[in-house]
Amino acid sequence: MALLLQAIANGLLMGFLYALVAVGLTIIWGLMEMINFAHGEFLMLGMFGAWGLSVTLGLDPLVSIVPIGLVIYGLGVLVYRLLMRRVQRGDPFTQIFATVGLLFLLQNSAVAAFTSDYQYLTNTLLTRLSGAKLQIFGINLGIPLLIGALLALLLFFALYLLIDRTEFGLALQATAEDREAAMLVGIRPQKMFAVAWGLGAALVAGAGCILANFFAIYPQVGFPFTVLAYAIVALGGFGSILGTLLAALVVGVVQSVTTVYLPPAFKDAFVFASYILIGLFRPQGLFGRF
Amino acid sequence: MDGSSRRLGPRLALGALLLLALVYPIPLQFSGYTYFQTVGFLVLLNAMLGIGWNVIGGWAGQFDFGPQVFFAVGAYMAALLLIHFGLNPWLGMVAGVVGAMLISALVTYPLTRLRGHYFAISTVAIWMIAQPIGATWELINGSRGLFIPVQAGHGPLRSLAELQFAGRTKALGYYYVALGLFVLVLVAAHLVERSKLGFYFRAIRDDQEGAEGIGINSRLYKVIARSITAGVYAVGGVLYGFWALAVFPEQALDLNWSTLPMMATVVGGIGRLWGPVLGAVILIPISQLMSTTLGTGPLAGRGIDLIVYGIIIILIAALRPTGLLSLPWRRWLGWAA
Amino acid sequence: MPALLELTSVTKRFGGLVANKDVSFVIDEGDIVGLIGPNGAGKTTLFNCITGFLHPEEGRIRFAGDDISQARPDRICGHGVARTWQLVRTFGRMTVMENVISGALKRTNRVREARARAERLLEFTGLAARAELPAANLTLADKKRLEIARALATEPRLLLLDEAMSGLTPAETVDAVTLVRRIHAELRVAICVVEHVMEVVMPLSRRVVVLEYGQKIADGPPEEIARNEQVITAYLGERRRGRH
Repeated sequence: MALLLQAIANGLLMGFLYALVAVGLTIIWGLMEMINFAHGEFLMLGMFGAWGLSVTLGLDPLVSIVPIGLVIYGLGVLVYRLLMRRVQRGDPFTQIFATVGLLFLLQNSAVAAFTSDYQYLTNTLLTRLSGAKLQIFGINLGIPLLIGALLALLLFFALYLLIDRTEFGLALQATAEDREAAMLVGIRPQKMFAVAWGLGAALVAGAGCILANFFAIYPQVGFPFTVLAYAIVALGGFGSILGTLLAALVVGVVQSVTTVYLPPAFKDAFVFASYILIGLFRPQGLFGRF
Repeated sequence: MDGSSRRLGPRLALGALLLLALVYPIPLQFSGYTYFQTVGFLVLLNAMLGIGWNVIGGWAGQFDFGPQVFFAVGAYMAALLLIHFGLNPWLGMVAGVVGAMLISALVTYPLTRLRGHYFAISTVAIWMIAQPIGATWELINGSRGLFIPVQAGHGPLRSLAELQFAGRTKALGYYYVALGLFVLVLVAAHLVERSKLGFYFRAIRDDQEGAEGIGINSRLYKVIARSITAGVYAVGGVLYGFWALAVFPEQALDLNWSTLPMMATVVGGIGRLWGPVLGAVILIPISQLMSTTLGTGPLAGRGIDLIVYGIIIILIAALRPTGLLSLPWRRWLGWAA
Repeated sequence: MPALLELTSVTKRFGGLVANKDVSFVIDEGDIVGLIGPNGAGKTTLFNCITGFLHPEEGRIRFAGDDISQARPDRICGHGVARTWQLVRTFGRMTVMENVISGALKRTNRVREARARAERLLEFTGLAARAELPAANLTLADKKRLEIARALATEPRLLLLDEAMSGLTPAETVDAVTLVRRIHAELRVAICVVEHVMEVVMPLSRRVVVLEYGQKIADGPPEEIARNEQVITAYLGERRRGRH
């Protein structure tokens, strides 16, 4: 029983990190109904960026979130302007496909630059705290994971405020609701889309900076996160930010609890089995507007 | 309606292509460059898989990222039947096809309640569930995999019957088997395209509600489409399994078995019969060419070929999403009316 | 003789919103019935219920005696009900001919037979010249005609036309009305038209059913409906007294 509670607690913490990973995809989807298969590649770039800055300048990854976030934001905007804008009006399949091409390009550019060898962060705040625990009600919460999760939650909350409380966020929502009406009030959809791509990429790259403390860093690390993020966004109901958070928590917990009873190879399998079950009874996801 | 003179051009081209395909490996055999026969084998295999994927993806218009599961089903069934019952691999192939189609129908039917991206993820989900099962299921020897008992050193007819070629004619033998199966699948796909199924699939793709309004049971036909894809994939799986003489989960469930044929189909022309063929002929040699030129130099193993793939896909998606076959090549060749 | 289509107390809800409430009427073999009402009256919802894209929470829909209230759309088409769509749903990437063949394949498994049927229908609807064009390239008027041809290919006994005239120029509207009359007279198909354009639906229909806020408020010959106080109020608001 204690083991189960422990797993749930860890799963929730991991879930906050997953939420930050997935929310960028939600924004892009909610705005443009596009799925980005290269989403995880921005995460991978964030990880490599954090590692690079740590190794060369001694910057802690949690601090690197800012510069890396800005750079990857620019990359996201660039990707939109050069590629996604062209495929936006076409077949949805072409859009997916364009992002698959992007995936190949980004992932293998990383292979060319860094080789497929695994890299690890050392001597950062979170890695130095490894092993430190906080005990609450008999449950051990790893301090690094706790900090990471809190940071992720903070960023997530900042995003929520941005979308919900600022004029810019309202413009974004307006464009998502009714593109033409938004144009009528002077909002430029193209600008919104570019920003959404930038924001989506920046957020997941930021998540990468945090995750670099916990996972090995290598060019192929991104794709499993893309698949997971896709499932989370679908579970939460495409386009719902709150739904993404809750779905991410569900996924984190399911993964974590599964590893208590089954070999670790099955942890993702259960997430996807849950997806199918939920999908059959509620095709629009937990909170989606279908 | 069609003047026979208008048909002549394409028919000559078809004949020429077939002849080329038949003759291609022969000079290679004499010069000893059998590696390129294997390249041809891979082109034919991926083209065949692409034609299969085109049924659910191009004609029925459903994004399917999980047909590699049926590739594995085919490979494993044939391998198991040979190992435990000594069943001939060709019969094993038939069994594999039937098995894959049945499993596909069973699994896909509930999923057809989902549309668009939701359906796409569900196909990924099945694949994600299949992976740990493949790695831990004792019946198929888990991640250790199955080894096909080698029966080498027989004459060409016996090798064909056992689907095992060895020695100097190994690549040659597999090439011709692949060619034969490829032609079979191509012809079958052509027949399906012109049949009621072909019309119904495309109607569902173009407008599912409109299709239901004219009496099409969209769920049923999506299942049929995916089952056809599964059947083709099972054939591919058996072929590859016996070429590799081993079947194990990481290889059989590799995502590349769906992404590569998909890419070939999109590059060549999604929804067109010959799309996957053109795409495979272009893409696969590029990868192999890169491997040989970069060889063991400093850029080897650095994914350069995949970078090139990425660029090609991006270019096609941005500039010619309907694929290369949609270019006005009929006009260019002077065949058009 | 039992009615061809019989609606009995059909009620359709979306959460708290009642889109159709207790709607009952019949359509007989060979009838032409107009279904009118202000925007939001529930006409298209009713069509969707009849054709199986929605299912009523209460009430019964019977076609030629068979209960089709909860049936799937493709089954209902098999019974003999065909429809067109308010927002055209042609198969854009297929040719005009292929669109109609797809419809004809409901009644035969052989493409050759279906093609022959399709050819005749394209002649009948005046689309023969455009047979090889991709449907997406047609004008709106032609797309609507294609939908009708495709629907007719399924050999229906009842054809539901959902705002077939909307978006058409006056000239195109005249052509469309002629086509509908010919379908009724020559193909002996019962027709139900949802329409906003009064000048079209009144002369065309033998009977008119009027919906307002999901309920049926009138049912009778066009002349009667045109004089009906409730109907007039529904469309024009309260009758003004004196000058304004």
